[in-house]
Amino acid sequence: MEQKYKNLDCRNYAPVDVAKGICHVRKEMVAADGEACERFEKMPKCKHCANYTPREEKLLGDCEAPEDPHMTYPDLIATTCEWFSWKK
Amino acid sequence: MSKKLSQVLEESGISLDYQAGGIPPEETTDREIKREPTPRASRLRDLYYQTLSSATNEFPYWYTRKYMGLDSEIPVVRRALALKCAFSHLTPTIFPGELIVMGKANYYRGSFPMPWLSEGYYMAKEDELYQAALERGSTSSDEVSEFGSGGGNVTKNFGNVVSIAGKFGIRREELPALLKVARAWVGKSVDDLGHKYEQMVPEYGIKEAVMKSMVCMFDSGYTLPQGREVINYYYLLQHGFDGLIEIAEKKKDEAAGRAGGDGMVGMNRLYNYEAAIHVLEGIRKWILNYAEEAERLEAMEEDAVQKKEYNDIKECLNWIAHHPPRTFREALQLCWTIHVAVLNEDAISGLSPGRLGQVLYPWFEQDIESGRITEAEVLELLECLRVKFTCLDCFASMGVVGGVLSGNTFNNLSLGGLTPEGAPASNRLEELIIDAAISCVTTQPTLSVLYDDKLPERFMLKAIECVKTGTGYPAFMNNRVAMEFLLKHYGPEGMNVEESRAFAIGGCLETSPCSWMPLELNGKKYLIPGGSGQPTSVGIHFISLPKILELALFNGLDHRTSLQVFPPHNKKFETYDELFEQVKTYFAKAVEVLSLTNNIQHDVWRKNNMAIFNSILKPDCLEKGHLINEMGYRYNATHNVETCGNINMVNSLASLKKLVYQDKEFTLEEFKEALQENFGFKTAAEVGSYSLADQEKKENADRYDRIHFLCLTAPKYGNDDPYVDSILKEWENWFCAMCYDHESLNAKPYYPCQISVSTHAPMGAATLATPDGRLSGTTFADGSMSAYPGTDRNGPYALFTSATCWDHSNSQNSQMNLKIHPSAIQGIEGARKLLELTRAYMRKGGFHIQYNIVDSRMLRDAQRIPDRYRDLVVRVAGFTQYWVEIGKPIQDEVIARTEYEGV
Repeated sequence: MEQKYKNLDCRNYAPVDVAKGICHVRKEMVAADGEACERFEKMPKCKHCANYTPREEKLLGDCEAPEDPHMTYPDLIATTCEWFSWKK
Repeated sequence: MSKKLSQVLEESGISLDYQAGGIPPEETTDREIKREPTPRASRLRDLYYQTLSSATNEFPYWYTRKYMGLDSEIPVVRRALALKCAFSHLTPTIFPGELIVMGKANYYRGSFPMPWLSEGYYMAKEDELYQAALERGSTSSDEVSEFGSGGGNVTKNFGNVVSIAGKFGIRREELPALLKVARAWVGKSVDDLGHKYEQMVPEYGIKEAVMKSMVCMFDSGYTLPQGREVINYYYLLQHGFDGLIEIAEKKKDEAAGRAGGDGMVGMNRLYNYEAAIHVLEGIRKWILNYAEEAERLEAMEEDAVQKKEYNDIKECLNWIAHHPPRTFREALQLCWTIHVAVLNEDAISGLSPGRLGQVLYPWFEQDIESGRITEAEVLELLECLRVKFTCLDCFASMGVVGGVLSGNTFNNLSLGGLTPEGAPASNRLEELIIDAAISCVTTQPTLSVLYDDKLPERFMLKAIECVKTGTGYPAFMNNRVAMEFLLKHYGPEGMNVEESRAFAIGGCLETSPCSWMPLELNGKKYLIPGGSGQPTSVGIHFISLPKILELALFNGLDHRTSLQVFPPHNKKFETYDELFEQVKTYFAKAVEVLSLTNNIQHDVWRKNNMAIFNSILKPDCLEKGHLINEMGYRYNATHNVETCGNINMVNSLASLKKLVYQDKEFTLEEFKEALQENFGFKTAAEVGSYSLADQEKKENADRYDRIHFLCLTAPKYGNDDPYVDSILKEWENWFCAMCYDHESLNAKPYYPCQISVSTHAPMGAATLATPDGRLSGTTFADGSMSAYPGTDRNGPYALFTSATCWDHSNSQNSQMNLKIHPSAIQGIEGARKLLELTRAYMRKGGFHIQYNIVDSRMLRDAQRIPDRYRDLVVRVAGFTQYWVEIGKPIQDEVIARTEYEGV
């Protein structure tokens, strides 16, 4: 089944606050939890990273980057992470 | 039906809605001066109005991840590497239309907790928060929109958002990780370590009781360890990041392995310079990440104007990440970037930009002269800066953010004052800063005029025009009084007259030491002012004076908590002097114990959590190689004793002196009974409100009517009545001197600080009825020189005479709020009257005055229909706040303040 993404998962979503943000493409305010549109571009987050392994505990995981393995969480934005690489 | 307090007061000839000097017009009067911001600033401000206060886990996560992996590193380097890691990993967000970019977090109004200061809240709430994170909420827009009233505060959970401390929203996806991060700091945070060692103070039990009974409000060591100070932008403006790193590298080479004649901390210079370099590199990377984001947005943008703006942002950031600024816009952006970086380094409230108009003047002057920028463009940038400042949030506990700060962050921008040679320092850019504050009304930055008789009339009238917008700023601080205080207090550290003229206000009204810095731009030399002192308002925060009096009356026992706070004195108080002496004795004991525990907390802070970035911005850290923790700052005698409820205590002492000891109307025991019985009124808890206006009398409870009436009509401060003013004078002379008997961790004396911020509400809530007739649980008078609402009945000049019966230069500050009806200062004639009123107070030696220009009926309307007043601002104490974001007790107190219908 195709995974549905939210606006806050999109690279073009500028989060105004915890509930809403501005879509740089559509130039309008959108809800953070609203369904992403057809111009969705996936935001680098730990959950999309090849180094990421989920834990049994909800909303937690592990970063297994060899340089610095550490606890992390799936929705941590990784645009500035030096170890991020897209999960194949 | 129960009588309300307002009815009882009216029957006593006193009014909660006292109007002095006339009667207001029949119709509610709006403020006279109203202007609109530029369309861009208007859009950005509108966006702020829609924005919820939002927290993120990014910074705490990366900081903790790095810090915990470096457990054998030198502490200052360990902290520097953690800061570098956190700054480097922050997600950059740029919002359409912004000219000045960068923020504390990736949200528009973002912030984050710092569990390395205190993790206790998260541990106490761990289960509750974890459960909230696991409950997947629905996400209808209705749920989101119901948070319109109350401003941007997230007061409860909704959808996938969890409320923290009744103020900040955090995404539930981030919460379990935040709890893990917080858990890592158990036993290691400043709060935990400080607590471990403060308990070793022999009279620690008194401290515990003092805090629980609300004699004192909060510990500064782990809540807000820095702030109430003036930042210094100079070094980066002059040298840029690359230049400053180069200087630090050179100094590091010179210091490596050398004690430099100091066997105690001389060797630390090597580690300190190493730490400085790491932090500067981290912040440089943070700026470059924003530049990359601007480039990405530029590439995808189709609108030519917006595309160009992203390009300009990219160019600006790429330049200032390495080099000193060339233009006004680059200098402004760099100042903002430095400001946010310091705020991200530590939990800070009251980081003041200082005399920003004088700092930026060199670029303004040269850009205007060369035609690189117009005044209209400068105004737009300044308006945008106001919105950015207003978006700043300070993440601290509920008690601190709500109870003390009312959600404000106290970024106070100072104007005017004098040059090193004693000439007026105001300039054209400062006039534009005021213009931006008039057209783009926001709560931040607040403005303060450093008043001197030499300041030009045109400049002063511009400041008065701004006051007439009703923003509550600028406040007016007395330059002469401040200089006298600075010379007395910092003279032993080398302060001279020229340097004292560099001062600015840190926080709401903390007189802060600054220095003149030699700047060169395109071959032209300038002296610009910047902060050179440690945080000027850390220390004992705040001691409730009416509570101290209450404990003196009740033998050291707090009836609210049943705690024996101070050792029993077992005195019968045969004389008034004996009673007053006991008040002083208990107060001195509180200061003694709190100074010791406070010193330990701040010492733990400076050992593990020292300011690195903020330190190297201030003289003389870079030169000496010592940071704040090794007293590298030029001025280090900055710890203070803050008080609250000054006027209620003075009025109460006057009441006791007259009714018990002079007129012998009642015995002290009868008085105490009346206080315990709240003069026959229900308790605030029974009424369900701590607001003045809501208090109700018990049915058929007339027993205390006479004593209450006589208390209410006893002599009151603010009326040029020597009976009361002599008590104030005696107290001030004693209090201002006794602070110097106590030593801070820097081996410097404490000094007095007299501001209330918002503590007069929660501290009032924890205090019994007072002998001045104030009811249990209700607010105290605000500030330290403001009269209690409705009790200043002889006009403002009588109030001024009362307020200046003591020497204000013996204290870091004093605080006077005056509420004036807009109709009283209409037109240019009204403006001149207000200016003359201000001058009169300053010439009498008053340190500070500020005005609420508002019709109280509008405030009542705003209480009824808050949604209509999202943009209404009022002056609370030393700060301006959105009406909808302050609690009802403070709202009621502002409404109740005497409204002057004529000046």
